[in-house]
Amino acid sequence: MRRLFANKWFIVVLITVLLVAIIILGAIPNSPVNKILTPVKAVANPIQRFVKSVGTTIDDYWAAITDGVAIREENVALKEEIARLEYEATKDDEAMIRYEELKDAFHIKDSFSDYDIFGASVLSREADEWFSVIRVGAGIDDGLILENTYSYAVVDNRTNLIGRVIETNSSESKILPLLHEGFSVNGKVNEVNGAVILVSGDAALKKQGLCLVTGIGEDVVIEVGDVIVTSGDGGLFPQGIPIGEIYSVDYSDSLHPIATLIPYASIDDLKDVFIMVPYNQDVATETPVTEETNE
Amino acid sequence: MNKVKLVRKILVYAIYVVFLVCFQVSFPDKISFDAQIADIMFVFVSLVAYYYGLWDGIIVGLVVGILRDCFAAPAILSFNGDIATSVGIGSLSMFLVAVFSASVFTVKMHRKFSFALITVATCSVIYKILGHGAIKLWTTVFSSASYSLSFKQVVVDSILVQVLLNLICAIPLILLLRFAGPYSGGVNPALSKNDTGGNQSWLTV
Repeated sequence: MRRLFANKWFIVVLITVLLVAIIILGAIPNSPVNKILTPVKAVANPIQRFVKSVGTTIDDYWAAITDGVAIREENVALKEEIARLEYEATKDDEAMIRYEELKDAFHIKDSFSDYDIFGASVLSREADEWFSVIRVGAGIDDGLILENTYSYAVVDNRTNLIGRVIETNSSESKILPLLHEGFSVNGKVNEVNGAVILVSGDAALKKQGLCLVTGIGEDVVIEVGDVIVTSGDGGLFPQGIPIGEIYSVDYSDSLHPIATLIPYASIDDLKDVFIMVPYNQDVATETPVTEETNE
Repeated sequence: MNKVKLVRKILVYAIYVVFLVCFQVSFPDKISFDAQIADIMFVFVSLVAYYYGLWDGIIVGLVVGILRDCFAAPAILSFNGDIATSVGIGSLSMFLVAVFSASVFTVKMHRKFSFALITVATCSVIYKILGHGAIKLWTTVFSSASYSLSFKQVVVDSILVQVLLNLICAIPLILLLRFAGPYSGGVNPALSKNDTGGNQSWLTV
């Protein structure tokens, strides 16, 4: 036995088999294997956050030096903008009071009034073409409890859809971005009785920053520039989150027309995200939309 | 190897691993081109295994792989049809990269700059081909969907760009490993002893 362990190829095969077993066991839902990296994460995450903060500080410092003149000019313009906005804000305060009165009187519901919004900074992004999950700094300790079939919509600072949460631990969450080929969401054209479609990530379109649009009905006309928002069907995403605009349409197959969509959110420039957690968790318990369920 | 040299080796490896892994996952936009990201972790593991042998490569590969799984795990279709992050794919790929890089070229060609680049390029091509093949297989078997990338897109947009980016980032890493690496003089003494008895061929697999 000792001679066997002295053979390097035996050790290589042994480690390979062990790692393959971990991968397979890890693919089983609720497998305890998925928790084996928890101790490593406890040590590695603070180090990665430190390196990121140092890098960001250096980047910001360098940007401050190189952009000095531009920043001064921008500062002057912004001061004028602030003065104008302060005036607007004063007017809006009165309008807001009036709106609140009307809201109570007519029981008007805000778009996302059933949702709590958690802000989180992006900790790490994709490592290559396939290692593409985004980590953000909000987790179970912040109230993001993700059970079996739960998921939460993730948006940017302009409420544009970025993706959905697929995993949480005590201090962080992992997000599946909307360009990922495993992502799909029911959308609709943002107009009264707008056509319902399916927006999904696609391996070939990801490189161009586009999503695939399918499920377009035979009698539905989709045009370039149409604004697509979440439809709310499936229960995973609230209705009305802007996804993007139709970029191209292909009606060559009249039975299964397809289109491409350019998302509003820019994943490359992400620094902060917002996670939408329903006050009533049942809202988010339905199974995520997949091509199979949609068909 | 005495204690001081051992501590130096571990410290240098630790610093490189932490810095390179954290840099790649924190600032991928700084090292990307044409939607591909220079895979610094991958190149580092490949070069360590190539220059300093199988055991150094395996240990560094496993550590880098585990960190890769922690920070940027791939999202795959799990057995119940949900998309979930996987455990172990990063570790397995970095481990196999180390084994391949340390094994394909024999001692006679070790530590040659040009062959270091050939090792990185060869590893990158194999990694990409196997990766696309595995995803195609996984997609077909578990989701009965088709893999949307064409052969041309795989070759030109994925493999070619990735290999070029990896080769570009290999050059500074080679210099760092040779002149500020884990071994003084840039040579693993355990390997240099074996060099004298090595054969002349460069392909042993």
